[in-house]
Amino acid sequence: MESDTTQTKLELEKSHRRWRMIKDRIFGWAMAVGGISVIITIVMIFFYLFYVVLPIFGSASTTPLVRYEAPFKGATIAHLALDEYAEIGFVITADGEYAFFAANDGTTINQGKVSNGTGRSVVAIAAGDPVQRSVTIAFDDRTAIVVRPDYAISYPNDKRHITPTLEYPFGKTPVDLGEASGKILLLAAQSQDDEATIVSVTDANVVSLTHVTLTESFLGDEPAVTTTHTALPNIEYDISDLLIDVEQRELYVASAQGQISYFNISDKQHPRLTYLVNVLSNDHRLTSLKYLSGGISILVGDSSGAISQWFPVRDDNNNYTIQKVRSFTPFTAGVSIVVPEYFRKGFVAADEAGNFALMHTTAGRILATDRIATNSLQALAISPRADALLFLTDSGELEKRSVHNEHPEISWNSIWGKVWYESRAEPEYIWQSSSASGDFEPKFSLTPLTFGTLKAALYAMLFAIPLAILGAIYTAYFMTPKMRNFVKPSVEVMAALPTVILGFLAGLWLAPFVEQYLVGVILAFVFIPLSFVVTSFLVDKLPAGVSSYFRNGWEAAALLPVVCFGIWLCVTLSLPIETAFFDGSLPAWLSENFGISYDQRNSLVVGIAIGFAVIPTIFSISEDAVFGVPGHLTTGSLALGATSWQTMIGVVILTASPGIFSAVMIGLGRAVGETMIVLMATGNTPIMDINIFEGFRALSANIAVEMPESEVNSTHFRVLFLAALVLFMVTFAVNTVAEIVRQRLRVKYSNL
Amino acid sequence: MSKIINASSKEIDSIDNSNSPVGNDSDLAVSNTVSLTVSNLNLFYDTKQALNSINMTIPKKMVTAFIGPSGCGKSTLLRCFNRMNDLIDGVRIEGSIFLHDEDIYARDVDVANLRRRIGMVFQKPNPFPKSIYENVAYGLRIQRVNNRRTLDRAVERSLRAAALWDEVKDRLQESALSLSGGQQQRLVIARAIAIEPEVLLLDEPASALDPISTLKIEELIYELKRDYTIVIVTHNMQQATRVSDFAAFMYLGNLIEFDDTKKIFTNPAQKQTEDYITGRYG
Repeated sequence: MESDTTQTKLELEKSHRRWRMIKDRIFGWAMAVGGISVIITIVMIFFYLFYVVLPIFGSASTTPLVRYEAPFKGATIAHLALDEYAEIGFVITADGEYAFFAANDGTTINQGKVSNGTGRSVVAIAAGDPVQRSVTIAFDDRTAIVVRPDYAISYPNDKRHITPTLEYPFGKTPVDLGEASGKILLLAAQSQDDEATIVSVTDANVVSLTHVTLTESFLGDEPAVTTTHTALPNIEYDISDLLIDVEQRELYVASAQGQISYFNISDKQHPRLTYLVNVLSNDHRLTSLKYLSGGISILVGDSSGAISQWFPVRDDNNNYTIQKVRSFTPFTAGVSIVVPEYFRKGFVAADEAGNFALMHTTAGRILATDRIATNSLQALAISPRADALLFLTDSGELEKRSVHNEHPEISWNSIWGKVWYESRAEPEYIWQSSSASGDFEPKFSLTPLTFGTLKAALYAMLFAIPLAILGAIYTAYFMTPKMRNFVKPSVEVMAALPTVILGFLAGLWLAPFVEQYLVGVILAFVFIPLSFVVTSFLVDKLPAGVSSYFRNGWEAAALLPVVCFGIWLCVTLSLPIETAFFDGSLPAWLSENFGISYDQRNSLVVGIAIGFAVIPTIFSISEDAVFGVPGHLTTGSLALGATSWQTMIGVVILTASPGIFSAVMIGLGRAVGETMIVLMATGNTPIMDINIFEGFRALSANIAVEMPESEVNSTHFRVLFLAALVLFMVTFAVNTVAEIVRQRLRVKYSNL
Repeated sequence: MSKIINASSKEIDSIDNSNSPVGNDSDLAVSNTVSLTVSNLNLFYDTKQALNSINMTIPKKMVTAFIGPSGCGKSTLLRCFNRMNDLIDGVRIEGSIFLHDEDIYARDVDVANLRRRIGMVFQKPNPFPKSIYENVAYGLRIQRVNNRRTLDRAVERSLRAAALWDEVKDRLQESALSLSGGQQQRLVIARAIAIEPEVLLLDEPASALDPISTLKIEELIYELKRDYTIVIVTHNMQQATRVSDFAAFMYLGNLIEFDDTKKIFTNPAQKQTEDYITGRYG
């Protein structure tokens, strides 16, 4: 019987022990799984960001698709183009014969000949802006016809069908180019809507300009064509290239030696030579002159294989001079063809040895180079979407290639370095991701945004660190426990305040308040700490019986009315001081006398607001660290005859330093990642200026502002992800450094 | 109670072979042989009385041991000597303690300076998280002694006095926390004597240590009494007999008996004392 109960007891004990071990294991596993999945999640977030960002740093590539015999084999091809879908090619010969053909196999769809009706022969052909698609054909009787390939799209049976036709926007009647001596050698033309400008050069080096306008008549069905003719001033050199911009306001007249005259032709009757430059050095020859999309920059190709970008730059006196901005040297043979992209700031170029290269001006990158033929190409066309290329070799074969070049505008330099953007006076760091126009040059410099983030963190930490750490030391070390029990939880509750509320208050209440009482706010930063010193001095002078009330940890309570009075005084004195010393307004006075500009939503406001957001974090952790300094160290120091102050400086802060340090770093991590406050309380202007009275745009706020409006997988979208990755890495680095330093300090100073 | 005190005072006389009569309220003559005089000391934690009218004199350059069961008030009394009780909220003290002839509870006393003169070593070794050198130099540095040579000399002298010099002389810049518990406690003693206090209060200095370290501390105490007045609180009665010249037995906040150590342990005047040392309670 007795052995039975012992047996049962043993059994019970055994099962209990086993159950206990199982529970222990389950919880051990659960914790391991939890911990590892947190790490995996973070790693996956990192890799996801990386995965989205990676394509923008890749280079471009082309894939050969088909190669076939070109229409008009043997003829000289004057112009080659592709339609939007890269399905239909358009070709026009030097004789004025044109054809539309299937870009994938060369089958001719539609062909014909442009003639002036009198059988005169074609002397020159000029293509206008690729987006406008117009081609101007000049005849030997000094007449010209403007044609324009048009692609009508229909969807029979839900399949896209493109019907190409040749349009005559200014009618089939040739336009008279006016009287001039000699035969036309060179032609340049642009047409847009109901206006065309045709500039021709004869073998006698005479340049004449014809302006064609189309007026809708109220009576007739045919719109009336009016032409005016102007002769340009004499050009000293032999002209080899002409270039008109799409707005028909500028004319470049170039020689093979690289001299370029720039005419302002806004007034078609009175063309004005604005300046003359030489774009080539040594004895290279100019082989190509083209506009980059947008019509601001010109691309100069030369016989050395280099292509340089030039655009008019405004100097301090508001005068424009054309300046070389950057150059590419993709080839060893001379440049033969340069073809710009339709909308982006990229272009394709080919050399005389049959090589071609894809480049992008903003990024300053040669994205891809390849060899397509052994000789110089006859023509090269890029599709409007820049996703296909059509090459015409000198043996009369066409090759179509697809292009993979989604993010040409990004390079390490365009993200972090200074970039000389179009129309800017000098290289700059700019963030401007979008604009109204389609051929705008996106400016994706993360430098001003990173600067903004660091600026916000800097001013926030300048505000928060002294308040939070000194407050924490006082609360933990000097304050009476009764008061501490109230103060600490109150400050910690502040951490629960949503930052959107802080941002809202900062933007809508604090910013106008600071602007109105700027003198008072600046005064308060000096006056309030000073009033502490004065007050404690006065309390010390009071009779012992009275002053003891304010000692023993109740000093803070005694200072509260002083702080309130100090703030009241600063605010009250603000306006009179401004009137007396700063002409009534400190912001205006600063900007007049020192050129310091003042934004209402500035870094001071943000610094205070983010400071308030991070104070509870820093305060709470440092307070715990100081409070956690073992009592035996404090008493040990006091027992050696140290005063409380000496003990605090010599022992308490030293021992609490790992904790205080990690508090600061965690606060910094929060300040760097803070979004709502910087979004609401700064002007979100991406400028780089350390001035405390200027706003900024932070990485986090930028993502919040722009992510909803960016097209998925566009360069902009991926750059925003890059911003997120940068932010992630900054906070990761801050936290890692914090942890390493904290571990070291802990080894050195911990005494637990 | 007063009878006991008088009796013990007489004992001090006889031991010291001093000719001058010694009483609780005696003055000048006392200061040659008496370091601390406790006069009618009452201590309250809020309303609870922890010490009841204690009167005693601590002889100079002798080791005085406080013994008694836990909670009898011996540590509290010890901490009255350098006013460490001031740090505890709600402590109220009546009566006075004289260091020589200065009342340490007088209104104008500089407490920090008092603590410099009356050093203290705690039960648990409490070196600061600094180097060995800086630990010993700490007390001097807070007195604004920053002369390197003065500090070097003081550190060496104190470490030698604390019998630690030979063990640490080659690693003075290492963290004090790298020392063993016994070494740390001797370091703390060195730190306390670096500022040359008049009195050294030891609050169970060996209770957290192993027997070998304890022995070293005890030898050290024996050495130190040549220069310092030492008051030691101990739970270990063997230790009290080994190190002390005088012993005070306390019980429930009362000083029961204060006498020559030999007498307390061989022939106590009070039955309570005898009960305690023979292990009836404690």
